[in-house]
Amino acid sequence: MRNDAAGLLLPAARPGTCLADVAPGWLSVAHDALRCPDTAADRAAQPPLSGVIGERSFEAHPSVRADGTVVWWLVDDTDHRLVREALHMERERTAFLAKVSSMLLSSLNLGRCMDVTAQMAADNLADAALVIAPAQGPQLPVVTCLRGGHPVLSHESVDPDDVPGLGEALRGFPPVPSRWIDPAAAPEWMVPEGFGPIGSIVVTPLPGHGVPAGALVLLRRSQTAAFTEGEEVFARLFAARAGAAMSAARLYAEQASITEILMRELLPPSLHQISGVDFAGGYRPSMDHDRVGGDFYDVHPAVVDGEASLVALGDVCGKGLEAAVLTGKIRNTLHALLPLADDHQRMISLLNTALLNSHHTRFATLVLASAVRKGNAVDLRLTSAGHPRPLILRASGAVEEARTHGTLVGALPNVPTHTAALTLAPGESCVLYTDGITEAKGGPMGGTQFGDERLQRALSECAGMPSESIVERIQMLASQWVGDGSHDDMAVVVISAPRTRHLSAVNGHTRGRFTA
Amino acid sequence: MSTRTSHRLRGDEAVRQLADELWEAVSAADEYTATDLVLRAVDDGVDPESVLLDVIAPVQGKVGREWAANRLSVAQEHAATAVNERAVAALALHPAARTAPERGRITVACVDGEWHALPARLLAEVLKLRGWRVDYLGAQVPTPHLITHLHRTAADAVALSGSIATRLPTAHAAITACQSVGAPVLVGGAAFGPDGRYARRLGADAWAPDARAAADRLAGQPLARPQPDHQQLDDLPHLADQEYTMVARGSASLVRTVFTALEDAFPAMRAYSELQREHTAEDLAHIVEFLATALYLGDEELFTGFITWTAEILTARGVPAHSLPPALGILARELKDFPRATRILRRGTDALIPLHATTAGNRA
Amino acid sequence: MTMMPSARLRLTTVDTEATVRIELRGDLDYDNADRLLAAVTGQLAGRPRLEHLHLHCAGLGTVDSMGLSVLLMIHRRTGEAGVRLHLDDRTARLDRLLTITGTLEHLTASPNGAASSPAGAGESPKNSAEARAARPTGPDGTT
Repeated sequence: MRNDAAGLLLPAARPGTCLADVAPGWLSVAHDALRCPDTAADRAAQPPLSGVIGERSFEAHPSVRADGTVVWWLVDDTDHRLVREALHMERERTAFLAKVSSMLLSSLNLGRCMDVTAQMAADNLADAALVIAPAQGPQLPVVTCLRGGHPVLSHESVDPDDVPGLGEALRGFPPVPSRWIDPAAAPEWMVPEGFGPIGSIVVTPLPGHGVPAGALVLLRRSQTAAFTEGEEVFARLFAARAGAAMSAARLYAEQASITEILMRELLPPSLHQISGVDFAGGYRPSMDHDRVGGDFYDVHPAVVDGEASLVALGDVCGKGLEAAVLTGKIRNTLHALLPLADDHQRMISLLNTALLNSHHTRFATLVLASAVRKGNAVDLRLTSAGHPRPLILRASGAVEEARTHGTLVGALPNVPTHTAALTLAPGESCVLYTDGITEAKGGPMGGTQFGDERLQRALSECAGMPSESIVERIQMLASQWVGDGSHDDMAVVVISAPRTRHLSAVNGHTRGRFTA
Repeated sequence: MSTRTSHRLRGDEAVRQLADELWEAVSAADEYTATDLVLRAVDDGVDPESVLLDVIAPVQGKVGREWAANRLSVAQEHAATAVNERAVAALALHPAARTAPERGRITVACVDGEWHALPARLLAEVLKLRGWRVDYLGAQVPTPHLITHLHRTAADAVALSGSIATRLPTAHAAITACQSVGAPVLVGGAAFGPDGRYARRLGADAWAPDARAAADRLAGQPLARPQPDHQQLDDLPHLADQEYTMVARGSASLVRTVFTALEDAFPAMRAYSELQREHTAEDLAHIVEFLATALYLGDEELFTGFITWTAEILTARGVPAHSLPPALGILARELKDFPRATRILRRGTDALIPLHATTAGNRA
Repeated sequence: MTMMPSARLRLTTVDTEATVRIELRGDLDYDNADRLLAAVTGQLAGRPRLEHLHLHCAGLGTVDSMGLSVLLMIHRRTGEAGVRLHLDDRTARLDRLLTITGTLEHLTASPNGAASSPAGAGESPKNSAEARAARPTGPDGTT
């Protein structure tokens, strides 16, 4: 039996014909299965059967009649299905764009952003993708990726204006649309090795935020379908995200390199032995994301051999970059005053004059130390300008405060100081530090200051240690004392008279004797 | 092949001999002898990598063990380490150790709060020898510095070193942060457990038991680029109970409470000197720190291991460990509303019973 | 040992025509030292006949470098306005800070030049006396 609609749909199906001969396979197979009672029960639980007849798609609903014959109700769901497919594709694209965003947002490195862009484009939009960044210098950075492959960076010495649309895309202005180019006209460098004949090729600008971000080139092989309008729109959405990430990465890289250059001048130097005197220093800024702060130190070797090296360690009022800039000024001024290094008071007075300012009282405290090797010992002259006194660690483990005092610089018209002179025997050390160490708050019970006493006690356990170990020990104890709490900048410099080789050779083979 | 083997054997002997001599020099803080030894070995044709890993690394391991056994003072341990570091620095400048970078770029760093830099330094030098371009960031690198560095350099991988278990939560933050900017992380060091179990738990991309294994791993299949949307809570869902947060944040006040209660239980403590009191408080802070770490990792063994180790260290230094069980008891009372903390503390107390009996017996 | 959780600075002002007294409680530091400077500047501007400014320091907690900078600025401004600054009831910690930085005399000297506190600038604190006794230092030199 058939009704009129069925007659239109399956004109061959006349009463008495076998269903398998006139209906598509999916329907006749289902029909046979239904007539077999064992599987009939299972069918009810399954989703409605569907399939294609001609150019349209149908859902098929069977109803088994008492006599064992089956009536098939066929419902045309072609439009419904198209909408569902479109929805599915949109969801996939949205998920893809979300993934693109999170991949691209996670890095501020231009190279990595280019890699991610090329790889995701190749895997989702084309058979191969090229990401081209605006040239820095004579060469064009190009990242190429084949579908399923790894991105590869190369530098091409080519003129982007030779490729239609590429020059404009790389300049970022004026805005240009995606540009189809003749596959035959594509330059050799644009075609990945072993790619084969190109079917279609499109150059899409990567829009930056006020700065050119680059261009995306998508290639499809001849046998692959060309880009549909929907795909082009989608590629543009992708390009917008990639361009934003790449321009942010470029801006970050520029800023980071500026910071790096400026910062280099402000970073504390690394210290080592000079003319038979050991120097070691360590610095921890108050904020973990900073590398500079308001503490500073320098060691200037003597110009003439046999004269003293000059050490300066200090602390300017304030925190962070602003304080660091002031330390830069002080370090430069002291450097210029090096010819007067013999006369601490004069250096400090001149520094004070240079820093005095009628608008503010931002001051600095510092210690100057002149150190020179005399035989096996080191002669020291120490002058504090309003700074905590240097500590002297004797071979016995005794800790002394150097008897120097004076006034801070940069706030008052006169800065009288008093210099202490002393001698370090081999293995003895002088410790210069900033109050970030002693005023560090923390400890096992919390809220307690590290304090002078604890510092001196810790130092007395360091007798005989090399200068860099003393620095490390003090930094470690103070940092552990603070724990995860906040702290001020902390700087330590240790000046040591090296233990003599002779001593090591005599005592060296007995464990522990060297501290005696 | 056979000549190579015999050469190798002779090499092994020479290397053992060298390690013994270096230990002598290092334990006497004799920098000059140590540096000369290392440089002469390379002059004589010993492979620089072997000097780093078969001579210097074992000697540094011995420094740590001797300190733990109280046969080296703090000062000696620091001095020995400094001498070893200087030997590494000298070796790095030897012409035989100069290699042109021909592989990718690796960042080597220590976890923030990690002061033992030598293992990381050794790895950095070995990777350089094997042709990597290495950025060595040194001891205790704050995570923001590490991430800034990665944004600037796009390293192929990060090698992160940690020896202190209590820094594992910080290490986890660093691992996740590196991965989120697209850098896979290889971890190593005592903190991650002898079998690397904490490396897996914290979602590291790879783990290596020592510098040689780490270098081999990096030389093999490149580490896959991590997924960017991974979050710390994904690795450790138990953190949702907030027990770690509460204990870690309230650490100072927990220590104060336990200290006061201990004074009531042991009146002798009132006669302690300021220094003794501080040491006691520090020991308590350490217990709380390990408890917090065990809560973070969801690993009771981490705590029991620490407690038995502490009891042994105290005993080795002639300090009776009898205040440990009451301290754990008071902590358990303070944290009675935290089921995981309570369970961990009970396990800690149980672990002390056999030890306590032994030390008591020794003293009798 | 000091157990001093960081505390917000509180300022209490008591005044007569010729005298202003500001009571300081809490920390004078990076985060809030500017408030004291603003308060003092306001007083100086609003009272042409002011003669004495008393800062009552007994309740001061931590004074950091920014705090000291502000005290130095206040001293400069009061001097310019012909007002005498008094740092009253200074804590031992404050005196220590002023001593180390060599500013005690400057901040506390009376117009005739003598320091109002007997604390001599630059004397060694006693806790190093033992250490010094253990081994004599080299000769002191004055530049």
